[in-house]
Amino acid sequence: MKRTALILLLLVAMVTTPLFAGGDKEAKSSEKVIRIAEQVPGLITPGVWDGQVFSMNSSMYEYLVEINVGTGQLDPVLATDWSTTDGKDWTFHLRKGVKFHDGSDFTSKDVQYSLERTQDPTIGHLKKQDFSVVQSIETPDDYTVIIHLKESRPTFVYQLTDYNMAMLSSEYDYAKYGESKPMGTGPFMMSQYIPKESIAMVKNPNYWDPALPKLDKILIYFVGDIDASVSMLEAGRVDVVTFVTPVIKNRLSKIEGISVISPYQEQRFVAMNVDMKPWDDNRVRLAFKYAMDPQIIAKSVTQMNLGEGAQYNETPIMNMLSEYKELPLRQRDIPKAKALLAEAGYPDGVSVALYYASDHPFGKELAQTLKELALPAGFDLELKGFTRDVYLSQYWLNVPTSITGWGGRIDPSMLLGLAFKGGGPWNESHLNDKRINDLIDKITEEIDVQTRMGYYHELQDIFYAEGALLNVQVPYLVAINDRVVDYRQPLTMIPQYKYTDIR
Amino acid sequence: MNRTLSIIIRRLGSLLVTLAVMSLIIFMLVEIMPGDVAQMILGQSATDEAVHALREARGLNDPVLLRYARWVGGVVTGDLGESIYMQGVSINSILWRRVGHSMILALTAFLIFVPLSMIFGVLAGVKEKSKTDSIISFFGLATMALPEFVSGVFLISIFGVQLKWLPIVSVIPIGESLFSNLEILVMPALSVTFVMFGYISRMQRSSMIQVMHSDYVRAAILKGMPTRYVIFRHALKNALLPTITIIGMNMGWLFGGLVVVETLFGYPGMGSLLMTAIKTRDVPLIEACVLLITIIFSLSTMVTDILYSYLNPRVRLQGGQK
Repeated sequence: MKRTALILLLLVAMVTTPLFAGGDKEAKSSEKVIRIAEQVPGLITPGVWDGQVFSMNSSMYEYLVEINVGTGQLDPVLATDWSTTDGKDWTFHLRKGVKFHDGSDFTSKDVQYSLERTQDPTIGHLKKQDFSVVQSIETPDDYTVIIHLKESRPTFVYQLTDYNMAMLSSEYDYAKYGESKPMGTGPFMMSQYIPKESIAMVKNPNYWDPALPKLDKILIYFVGDIDASVSMLEAGRVDVVTFVTPVIKNRLSKIEGISVISPYQEQRFVAMNVDMKPWDDNRVRLAFKYAMDPQIIAKSVTQMNLGEGAQYNETPIMNMLSEYKELPLRQRDIPKAKALLAEAGYPDGVSVALYYASDHPFGKELAQTLKELALPAGFDLELKGFTRDVYLSQYWLNVPTSITGWGGRIDPSMLLGLAFKGGGPWNESHLNDKRINDLIDKITEEIDVQTRMGYYHELQDIFYAEGALLNVQVPYLVAINDRVVDYRQPLTMIPQYKYTDIR
Repeated sequence: MNRTLSIIIRRLGSLLVTLAVMSLIIFMLVEIMPGDVAQMILGQSATDEAVHALREARGLNDPVLLRYARWVGGVVTGDLGESIYMQGVSINSILWRRVGHSMILALTAFLIFVPLSMIFGVLAGVKEKSKTDSIISFFGLATMALPEFVSGVFLISIFGVQLKWLPIVSVIPIGESLFSNLEILVMPALSVTFVMFGYISRMQRSSMIQVMHSDYVRAAILKGMPTRYVIFRHALKNALLPTITIIGMNMGWLFGGLVVVETLFGYPGMGSLLMTAIKTRDVPLIEACVLLITIIFSLSTMVTDILYSYLNPRVRLQGGQK
């Protein structure tokens, strides 16, 4: 019996031994290859791209202009220069000799197509609203585009940095091939695509800048689970992992050769709906603000100190933008908060619902922190967490209190009109204050930079005194290994892999 | 022979009915999942107009029954439709590659856990109440109590992190195939083995004990037959019956239940694909994956029944008489 068992065991061992051969494979060639682990993509066609898998799209497509991560200013890409006299009529000169990956030339017709496409009702373009200001587009020659706007928009050019505003070929059928065979003028072109699994991109040999890109290949693994992605990074199987959480950041900080960077911040707006009780009374809003402790919020939500990776203010303007006005950080003052609440008619405190997307990064943590902080002042926040799609489609915009994620925008003016002006489509706090509406209009139309800055400051003063918003800024975290040199990703969220090199 | 054939035909008939009912249940379950797929795809900056345009383009505004009919029609003709997210890419082209990977993983696990657990189960049964039995039973219980995401993490930390013998993630390097990276199968397969080992070895042990205590085995031993001969010729065939049923019943689980293991190790199989599909509410893809798991489950149960009736004439005869 023993002998038989032994023989059978040996047989099993023989079957399984070949499987054990070899551990991790080393990189086999001398090519410069960067490997990235990202989430599994949703839609990727520019226009309806939900903003995931930045590495893939930003490497394949290009924009008229891009943000310089060093200066924060606009750099020319497919447009070599641009000008406007009144903010209404814009002239763009295009780069010559640029080719799409299919070999066709990039011309003014393609720019016209890409901009007009935003208004095509069959596409459901995410920038439809922003580009509805375009009256008409002229293309006097192949390399000049003149855009006439319905009204003055001195900062219109910044709209062209949005990740959905990639320049597309007017001759390519994006409805048919946008998801399966994406193609643009970018520094890398697709070589192999296994849907939901991986994509390989190779250097575009016809790229207009002969010095770029520095890499030969970009390999992206679509990994559904962030922990599996981080394991790949630790095992040296990938070089970059995006959307890292603060907990993972802390874990990785102990590992040599891996760093976690925060190229930019995102915003979480805590909006108080002024059309609903108790937020219709500014004293209640102030009481809530006095119950907050920015340092604790930063620490418990992002596990970082205020100012390090997290920021906090009470206005729609991010702390990192030049338009931000340095206002004193309100200190936590529970007696004052209680007094204000009593004055407003809530001496025994008040119960109010807080809605948020529980599966969105930092949502849960922020909701719980707000609840704890507000409790001693007399606010009983009822937490209502839902998955993000349910939250956005069923609750957002019609609830007393909400937490919503907002990407940063280099030019904050457009967001003001959409989210803080009376009648704006995403006006979460239902503000409809004449002073605020007028200031937003002035900011949107003012050509003089200094005057515009004055309006921005005035607007922030009003928000500080009477606004219905807490703006918690949370870090977007990327883990990279030290082989990666010059990783750039500005506030537009579009990584610029053409500059990246690998040791 | 004719009797067996009629059993098979009848089983196939009931399989088809099961699948038809299941397809409706799967479709309706996915249908009542909360949330809105178009909103999910487009995210927060989507206007109502954008959401509506996408719903229209993907046929999500059509009545439920029409969509169900369209889906079933497609399935019957072998067209599983397109992923919500991948216009122009058929689900067939995504799914089958993943199914292949999962089958290879399931087979690897099968090749490890079936012989292992049967051998140790028989050994424990034959040596009832001995030290060997206690050790095997303890080990079986311990591994059975560990869910695969726990045993998986153990394996990763021992073989991947400490010893560095095996890759800690089971991702196929881009540009290479699974066959040039077979080592990525080991840890996921071992995680599955851990779960299955206790279950099957215990079943094997108790059926072996039962058979060893039966009159005919006792008679054979008393007759002076060599023990080995009694075990292999007489006892084993009968003691295998319940084990085979259990293994067969678990083949369906093995395939569909790989979701956790595949996700943990990042293995590109059908389980991780299903996970992605659920996370992103990719309705056609969820339906295709779940239907396929149902088919495999039903088929493996059917094969088990037929095999069982072949091994056990009593069942075969009863089946034929009905």
